[in-house]
Amino acid sequence: MTHVILSNLTKSFPGNPVAAVNTMNLDIPSGQLVAFLGPSGCGKTTTLKMIAGLITPTVGDITFDGASVLAVPPEKRGAVMVFQNYLLFPYMSVGQNVGFGLKMRGVEPKVIDRKVIEMLDLVKLPNIANRRPRQLSGGQQQRVALARALITEPKVLLLDEPLSNLDAHLRDEMRELILSIQRNLGVTMIFVTHDQEEAVLLANQIALIFDGVLQQYAAPDVFYRQPISERAARFFGGINFVPATRRGERLETAFGAFHVRTPGVENAPEGEVTLTIRPEQVVLNPADDENCTSGRIRSRIYVGTYTRYKIMIGDIEIEATRSGDIDHALNEGDAVRVGFPADRIWVVGRS
Amino acid sequence: MIGERWRIPLMLAPTLIIIVVLFFGSLGYGFLQSLGWQPNIGNTTFSLDAYATVLFSPEYREQFWSGLWLTIWVSLASTFISAALALMSALLLRQTFIGKKIATFLFQLNLPVPHLVIAIGMIFLFSQSGLAARAAAQLGMISTPNEFPVMLRDAGGVGIILAYLWKEVPFFGIVLLAILQSVGEDYEDLARSLGANRWQRFRHVILPLVMPGLLSSSIIVFAFTFGTYEVPKLLGVRFPEMLPVMALEFFLNPDLNARAEGMALSMIIAAITLLIVVAYMWAGNRAVQR
Repeated sequence: MTHVILSNLTKSFPGNPVAAVNTMNLDIPSGQLVAFLGPSGCGKTTTLKMIAGLITPTVGDITFDGASVLAVPPEKRGAVMVFQNYLLFPYMSVGQNVGFGLKMRGVEPKVIDRKVIEMLDLVKLPNIANRRPRQLSGGQQQRVALARALITEPKVLLLDEPLSNLDAHLRDEMRELILSIQRNLGVTMIFVTHDQEEAVLLANQIALIFDGVLQQYAAPDVFYRQPISERAARFFGGINFVPATRRGERLETAFGAFHVRTPGVENAPEGEVTLTIRPEQVVLNPADDENCTSGRIRSRIYVGTYTRYKIMIGDIEIEATRSGDIDHALNEGDAVRVGFPADRIWVVGRS
Repeated sequence: MIGERWRIPLMLAPTLIIIVVLFFGSLGYGFLQSLGWQPNIGNTTFSLDAYATVLFSPEYREQFWSGLWLTIWVSLASTFISAALALMSALLLRQTFIGKKIATFLFQLNLPVPHLVIAIGMIFLFSQSGLAARAAAQLGMISTPNEFPVMLRDAGGVGIILAYLWKEVPFFGIVLLAILQSVGEDYEDLARSLGANRWQRFRHVILPLVMPGLLSSSIIVFAFTFGTYEVPKLLGVRFPEMLPVMALEFFLNPDLNARAEGMALSMIIAAITLLIVVAYMWAGNRAVQR
């Protein structure tokens, strides 16, 4: 259980005028599972490696339980990384791989053997200690890599894209395993991902990073309800963005005025803004006429568990989804009333 | 119509035929000659006389055994020291530093230079009448060039080993650099975060990862240094004499009967090379697994 704080953490690489990580401040309470989320090249793995001590920050500090670890070499820092491609040593057996960290610490072979068995049980892979890594599936290799990291009882466990190389079924299994281990051991875990779904499924808190800059640090649901920017909203699947002028609770758009009363919106920007609402929150033909406008259905796509509608309101396209069976009363070309519930609309700065 | 499963063996056949014919043809013919079979001079019987002469006759016994130890020493020392120096250099060259491109170019500069040229270069540089001796005398470090330490044509084969190092370090280096670049540094980073110090990372991560390539290159270098005669002929002494030079002298003997001894010696060289290569591979693999 380690409390990790990043203070003004910055990393610039020689020959590159743009900092890979720029003045990052982050407070990760002990026992939390935090995701560093962002597109490729945004600096999330660089940040992870700085926490592990494998990359030295240009500026800033990293503390574990209040003490700076910048002067502590990676081998003594207790921040263990699990790499995306597992990196099991091909010339060792599974058992030797798992026991590697303890062997490096000079632990007695008998103790190592016992702990290896415990760890392999923990990751639900008993009786494979004598196998070679090449004899394992991708999912099994990932579990062995996890066991190899956990056996050292790390202060912080750092996972680089832990689910990205697994197929859908194994992703679910691995997610459950990571969550149960995290709950049982209470170890502080930080993982890197470019997949917002992976971040939402696993993390208590998500740190959204674009271009080396921390954009938003919050619980997963906040990114859906209250994204910090249009870019953040788009990253989480937001597609409805309408230019608006905000005056308090009133939002004026090209197709009418709307009220906004979503909790937290009082801290959102005023003036020239962008109205955003998630497709699943848009109501078609609502009973109530408040916050409503008229549009015409441009297309209707049935996707199995829901139907996706594209609606033209003037020259602005809005997308709405309806779960359940297809509604045959709503067809392409039909006029439709479109409702934006006042407690579902969100406002971001105009980009 | 030829089945799909025969396609690859048939495509490989021309290459394999050349290798098999040349290898077993020449080896077989050489083996027969080593048994005294030389129909062109009327010898059509088989015997082990040539082997007995080389190994046990008073004339050649001492020359053979002292030559054998010198050959083993020179080949093992050249191979092992070249591999160690190349590994250290490759580990440095893969890092980012000022002048990396120039250093890498210089490191591989003498790869295309023949061994013969290297040996002659050694004589020009390090013999007692060479550039280094004269420069040392000019600088007053020694009073005459003759006082320059004997580095070439010494009984311990130091000059030969130096020439081989000059030539083989870049060879090992190019193989190791390629391996290290393909492996990357992630394994070392991982080991580091699991608590491995610098030595442990070298011993338990780098060495096992490069060992297959290192062993293959070592076999090539060892077999080459054990069986080649140009460098020891130019930089070695008359006694003890490395086995390939001794074999060459049998071949150059105007008496064609000496050809059998030359072939017997060549067969012994091949057999010893094979034995030592097997032992080297076994020891290398064991070292990795421990």
